[in-house]
Amino acid sequence: MTRWRRLILFFAVMGPGIITANIDNDASGITTYSVAGARFGYGLLWTLIPTTVALVVIQEMVARMGAVTGKGLSDLIREHYGIKIAFYMMLGLLIANLGTTVANLAGWAASMEILGFSKYIMIPVGALSIWILVTKGSYRAVERFLLIACLLYFGYVISGLMARPEWGPVLTSTLVPQLRWDSEYIVLSIAIIGTTITPWMQFYLQSSIAEKGIKKEDYAASRLDVVIGCLITDIISFFIIVTCGTLLFPHGIRINEAAEAAAALKPLAGEYASLIFALSLANASLLGAIIVPLATAYYICEAMGWEAGINKTFKEAPQFMWIYTLTIALASLAVLLPGAPLVSLMVLSSVINGLVLPFVLIYAILLVNNEKLMGEYVNPRSYNAIAWGTVIVIIGLTAFLVVTAFFPIAPIGGST
Amino acid sequence: MPLFGELFLSDVIKQSVFDPKGEIMGRLRDTIVIKGDPLPKVAALIVERKKELYRIEWESMNIFNRRIISTYLDMDSVKPYERSEEDLLAVRDILDKQIVDANGAKVVRVNDIKLEGYEGDAVLVAVDVGMRGIMRRLGVEHGSEEFLRLFGTSLPYNLISWNYLQPLKPKLKTISLTVPRQMVSELHPADIAEIISQVSREEGTHLFRDLDIETAAEALSELKPEMQAEIITAMEPGKAADIIEEMPPDEAADVLSDLPTEKAKEILEHIEREEAEDIQELLGHEEDTAGGIMTNEFIAYPPDASIAEAFERFKKDGEEIESAYYIYIIDEEEKLIGVTSLREMLLAEPTTRLSEIMETKLKTVTPDTDEMVAAEIISKYNLFALPVVDSEGFMLGIIATDDIIDRILPPAAKRKRRRV
Repeated sequence: MTRWRRLILFFAVMGPGIITANIDNDASGITTYSVAGARFGYGLLWTLIPTTVALVVIQEMVARMGAVTGKGLSDLIREHYGIKIAFYMMLGLLIANLGTTVANLAGWAASMEILGFSKYIMIPVGALSIWILVTKGSYRAVERFLLIACLLYFGYVISGLMARPEWGPVLTSTLVPQLRWDSEYIVLSIAIIGTTITPWMQFYLQSSIAEKGIKKEDYAASRLDVVIGCLITDIISFFIIVTCGTLLFPHGIRINEAAEAAAALKPLAGEYASLIFALSLANASLLGAIIVPLATAYYICEAMGWEAGINKTFKEAPQFMWIYTLTIALASLAVLLPGAPLVSLMVLSSVINGLVLPFVLIYAILLVNNEKLMGEYVNPRSYNAIAWGTVIVIIGLTAFLVVTAFFPIAPIGGST
Repeated sequence: MPLFGELFLSDVIKQSVFDPKGEIMGRLRDTIVIKGDPLPKVAALIVERKKELYRIEWESMNIFNRRIISTYLDMDSVKPYERSEEDLLAVRDILDKQIVDANGAKVVRVNDIKLEGYEGDAVLVAVDVGMRGIMRRLGVEHGSEEFLRLFGTSLPYNLISWNYLQPLKPKLKTISLTVPRQMVSELHPADIAEIISQVSREEGTHLFRDLDIETAAEALSELKPEMQAEIITAMEPGKAADIIEEMPPDEAADVLSDLPTEKAKEILEHIEREEAEDIQELLGHEEDTAGGIMTNEFIAYPPDASIAEAFERFKKDGEEIESAYYIYIIDEEEKLIGVTSLREMLLAEPTTRLSEIMETKLKTVTPDTDEMVAAEIISKYNLFALPVVDSEGFMLGIIATDDIIDRILPPAAKRKRRRV
């Protein structure tokens, strides 16, 4: 193949990997990185490297499955492990993703409040527009919207550069792991992995690869798309940590939310940095609020054998449309209701995500090693070692996270 | 006869299998399915005991039902089983798989399989593709039923008969089941209508689009009015006109009357003028009157035609007309003066004039007669068709018995229709 043909092929299959990985940096992801930067400066930057490796390995695996089998992950789980497993997994995902949607709409509300808009206006406006986009719009319109919106993530890179960090310490912190026996440090490093590798992404990526009709012959180009996507997502994460680590950490400003970071940037880095940070958060939150409920509706319908698709109407695909509509409606209500237990809801959601993730990964590894299904495209041995290793580490870490969610080892932030 | 009546596969999977002494031999894991006539049947059961698999032939089964599964064999005489790709296993190869049409588009998933005792075999009669099947698999079918009863609704049954599901290859090995295109056109149009109404709307339209015009026309008239309107609306006017033209005018009028006026007009413009006029004339009548159900295709000859001449003309006219049991006799003004049947004509001499054998004491109705009154007349006088005349005695059309039956008793496909 000539260099040109290779390039054309890459552009043809490009998309699923880059979009999935980008949207992975949703409100909760940005919150985690901002808090990590503000609290520990560059101290947690090194976790991005192993996380990126794990992300690449896992995403590459499900993408390969999508290209070889032409089916989504929930399709395969239902077909190979029966309805019970599929059903309970989907139920878990539904609840977890509802929580994620709450987090995203809360992120949207908070960023809008920084820009001076009331959440009581902006939540209905935001929820209604994303609802209309999907229920009334076509697939092409949605895809175009997503691709353009993905560009806005580079706002974080700009804000990172505007912060003028000292690159020496940044590089050292990135390359040299530092371990600290501090409960908050441990919880945050787990949270970074947890927010980067999520169950919904695996389903979303595999489905979009399958739906795009990428063949196994074109898979090499698709792999590049996935790897680039994973790199971009962690580069964005890197710049968020760098921004907060440079500007907020030296002043000892404690934040709990991404929006607080944007607000705190104003006196330190000026109007523009704050504005860019807030706008990027608004964009990321809204994207998450579109994709997460959409993805949820897709897998559930796939697994249950119900009609699904953005191009369909309520009458044609009732379950699909109702799952999407109710997720957005309930999440908006939760954000708007004064005194709604938002924090517990988001904690619950991350706990369920943590509980579902190992199962999703284990089934994915078992399926990708099924020779009947994958033929010569099963995992090579070295690959399996990394994949299983990742799963074991994730199980260990999420178990730890879940336990600490119920029995906090120490009040967060109380150890220093 | 180990199986009487019917059961779902999920009712028996994982149940204990007993030997003649009443001891548990193992648990039912799967069933081997082979091609049967007319439906696939269970050839053997696969039983798991202490992690080992055993195969028990269907002939060795004593009882096979929801409550008890037992075999004549004792533990020592059962044969071990090696899972093989050559066998078609109901749980492994059919359950949870998608049913797709020949183009590979997704339709539904197999949530459960319905078995029925038939001549000593357990045959696969249908697949459950609905919510009820999902609930049953999760073990909450009964509970959900009770729960829904509180709200005055019930769980619908969504079954697709195995008649419409054929595996792609004779070896019954493929993951996806399919309704192969060739098979579809060989089915009776009423059965095609039933399939179309059972699959999702999009797939139904898709399936319909691939039928040849003649089959499509016949299948279309078997569908529910809303479904007819949906399918026709989704089509190009030209293609829709081709199909509607193929239908008898009364059915064509029924279909068009359910469409938005604009769409109906557009389609009528594509239809041949003569045919379109017939349809338009019928569209003028109220739906539940004689005029609304009649067709204006009938056979009418002058009284002085001989039997031989009439047969000669019938050979050409009879081909195009759906209901041709009676020959009507009309005078020069086209007023109805008599009727005779094909039977009478066959029994008469070829040189006889129609006026000599025709019945003149006619039972007729006017276009505004209520359809039930027309039905009563047809039933009372044992007619195959009833002529419709205007107040001056001009013949307008006939009501055929099959159209009356459709009104009184909806066709099977329309009664049983369920949405997936």
